[in-house]
Amino acid sequence: MPDALDGQILSLPYGVMPDPDAFIQAAMAWHFNPETGAPFWIERAKSLEFDPLTDVRSHADLSLFPNITDEIRDHPVTAFIPRGYGSRPDVISVIESGGTTGAPKALPLMADFAQLMVERDNAVWEHYGLTQKKNWLLFSPSGPHGALEQARRGAKAWGVLPFAIDMDPRWVKKQVAAGNQAEADAYADHLLDQAAFILKSQNIGYIRLTPPILARIVRREDMLEVIRENVEYIHWGGASMDADARHFYMDVILPGITLAGSYGTTMALGSGGRQRFGAEDADETIFDANLSPYTTFEVRDEKTGECVEYGNRGQLVVHHVSKALLLPNNAERDEVTRVAPVDANQIGDSIADISPLVSFKGQKVIEGVY
Amino acid sequence: MVDPTAHKLVQIEVLGPAGPYRSRSRRTIREVSGKPVAELSLAPVPYVAHCMSTLHKSAPMSRPDRLKAIAKAGRAFYEEAVAGLEAAEYQRMVARISGLGIAEVRSAASKIAAFANEAWDRAQFARPSAVIGDRVDAEPGKGVGLWVRRGDIFGIHAAGNHPAIHGGWLEALALGYRVAVRPSRREPLTPWRLVNALYEAGFARDQLAFLPTDYAAADEMIHGSDLAMVYGGADVIAKYGGAKLFPQGPGRSKMLIAGRHDWRDYINLVVDSASRGGGTGCTNVTTVLVEGSKDDATAFAKAVGEKLRAIPSLSPEDENALLPVQPSEDARRIEEYLLQTAEGTLPVLGGSGVADEIGDGSCVMRPAVHVLDSAGDVQSKGIELAFPCLWFAPWSPSDGINPLRNTLNLVLIGVKDALVDEALDDASVRNVYRGAVPSFFAAPHMPHDGYLADFLMKPKGFVSAPDYVVA
Repeated sequence: MPDALDGQILSLPYGVMPDPDAFIQAAMAWHFNPETGAPFWIERAKSLEFDPLTDVRSHADLSLFPNITDEIRDHPVTAFIPRGYGSRPDVISVIESGGTTGAPKALPLMADFAQLMVERDNAVWEHYGLTQKKNWLLFSPSGPHGALEQARRGAKAWGVLPFAIDMDPRWVKKQVAAGNQAEADAYADHLLDQAAFILKSQNIGYIRLTPPILARIVRREDMLEVIRENVEYIHWGGASMDADARHFYMDVILPGITLAGSYGTTMALGSGGRQRFGAEDADETIFDANLSPYTTFEVRDEKTGECVEYGNRGQLVVHHVSKALLLPNNAERDEVTRVAPVDANQIGDSIADISPLVSFKGQKVIEGVY
Repeated sequence: MVDPTAHKLVQIEVLGPAGPYRSRSRRTIREVSGKPVAELSLAPVPYVAHCMSTLHKSAPMSRPDRLKAIAKAGRAFYEEAVAGLEAAEYQRMVARISGLGIAEVRSAASKIAAFANEAWDRAQFARPSAVIGDRVDAEPGKGVGLWVRRGDIFGIHAAGNHPAIHGGWLEALALGYRVAVRPSRREPLTPWRLVNALYEAGFARDQLAFLPTDYAAADEMIHGSDLAMVYGGADVIAKYGGAKLFPQGPGRSKMLIAGRHDWRDYINLVVDSASRGGGTGCTNVTTVLVEGSKDDATAFAKAVGEKLRAIPSLSPEDENALLPVQPSEDARRIEEYLLQTAEGTLPVLGGSGVADEIGDGSCVMRPAVHVLDSAGDVQSKGIELAFPCLWFAPWSPSDGINPLRNTLNLVLIGVKDALVDEALDDASVRNVYRGAVPSFFAAPHMPHDGYLADFLMKPKGFVSAPDYVVA
């Protein structure tokens, strides 16, 4: 049986910070004990060049792990459920990645971690002074993805009604890749048409959306009018928004409306970071890791793998260590600026200005005089 | 990162309905040597969406007012200070940024001024003869066709290869369109200056916008336009394809010298067609077909190559500069692409490279001349590049029209009527020039790649009769 203390330190309520090193050591004990760890890690441990139980003592040691995200595709979801959850594990959802690069990756979302994310979101809404007087409009992917379900859990906990517009990002990506821009546009308009009805009739005060959806709303005077009149809070995520766009929304399009972003990755069960409180006026868009120590960031030079200095750009590396899942050292296809955290308890880096990682190598010459 | 020299750089701001907009993220505009000279603000997607909907809400100025303002802006563009930038300094900067010779840049500026002066009249060349341009000209009770706009907002996704392309969209402005220009990020100075000149001449800011953007925001500009013009290679055209688009595709202009002839008579014509304006235009000849054997084509190619070889390598600001200049890194990439394509052909000039280092980090693009084995290779090998780059090939009447297809300007010398008719019937050939004229031949009333105004306007049935019923 796992050590009683280990179980406790991995099950702390939101906002209670464990000793970072004790936390990591307890997590290693949990995930690499054949009785509590997930089958994937018990098997994978045999081919690791180090012993996680003795060599991984702190967050810094997580970089010893290989990036195993591509291996997820080769295993059933059950291989990632820690055995310590017992014979009837409370898997609240199976969540899949976008499927942008090859086959999607599927992971189990345990109910306890989903609850932690709800409590984390509650803290954000409290900070911004959100009330229970108005309802929510959620543009979010359901189906294989976890975002809409998680947003609904948040609405339920907050005590408001969620109105959902389902989005299928894979369909859109498929159309764009095939050059069917018109098809992708028609789909986006279809989403907005549905939302327009809800906005006009359901006392919506909060909208959760993606930056491309927000940009399309700017084209629609009718929707903008209702939003300016009644909406208090717009949460954006799921794609990047540059600082110029963010400021243009705040200054010109949606003055007086709270615009708050978050960054999440399926490889951290949807967690990641939220836009830094009080930094709305900054020239950058800063994200703090608001589920540290469970989900933390590092920023590394893509080529050397070295950590970059504060203020410099590099590749985003996400570590996820919780009772529910171990997925350390995941190098994302995102480029970010490394920013110093403001919360002394936060492990790792804060990040800013997320953009897709672009490789400039092998630029093609295209024929023509233009 | 903040560039310590940033305060000395010309700030090229976004120009929208609410005035100039300076973005946080800016692109450094460099001379061909790499030296930074300007900073280009980039409009974010919501800015573009908002701007386009503001343009949609505006009404055009009266025709006399806008024509007066366009002509005035053209004069200012050519010879006055605009947005604090003197004409000579503007021209010098464009030469240094684009790599075009200063004389060519000055000539382009004068062309833009001429376009501005004649914008309305030029548009009228596209009006069908049975259609009138203004409803006040309709005879009472008589039905007519009336020329009306097909939309309100015209978007331009511009190219940076040559400043003179910006003369074209002035026609849209003259016809009453509100216009959004997305400049090339390589040389944005010309449309920035032209849009500023138009404001200074009286255009309100809700009539016309200058929208430098990244690619996502460029899509937003096209989306927000009723009609748009897009310059670019086949990939760009394919991305934006559709009925609302007036594509400006590749030129691949060609010359055929057929029949019994002495090719020596045409050396200067071909040299001029290849090198006028630095060879950067879509009307500069790319392929020369010669009736006869490959030896004939080769002898001709060598004579043309000798003349082209004599053009000196000069810096863009030199009054005698003709050949275009590129940043060395770009020049090397283009050179590599040329040499790869030329594999298996007979090099006559530039076979070992075309990028000639000036010594300041930039290269003159020297002319290239290659001979293809047969006319059958023209479509696959005869690539168009933005400097004098020629492909010669032998041709015989049995090769027919195929090697001549996919052409902006097709010059046919010494050919029979049947081939002229075939070329005129072929949809992939846009202009047919018969006889000894240069490939860049142009006249104000001639379409370039179709009439722009033909795309912008449509006829509507119109009759104006008294309101009382005539017994």
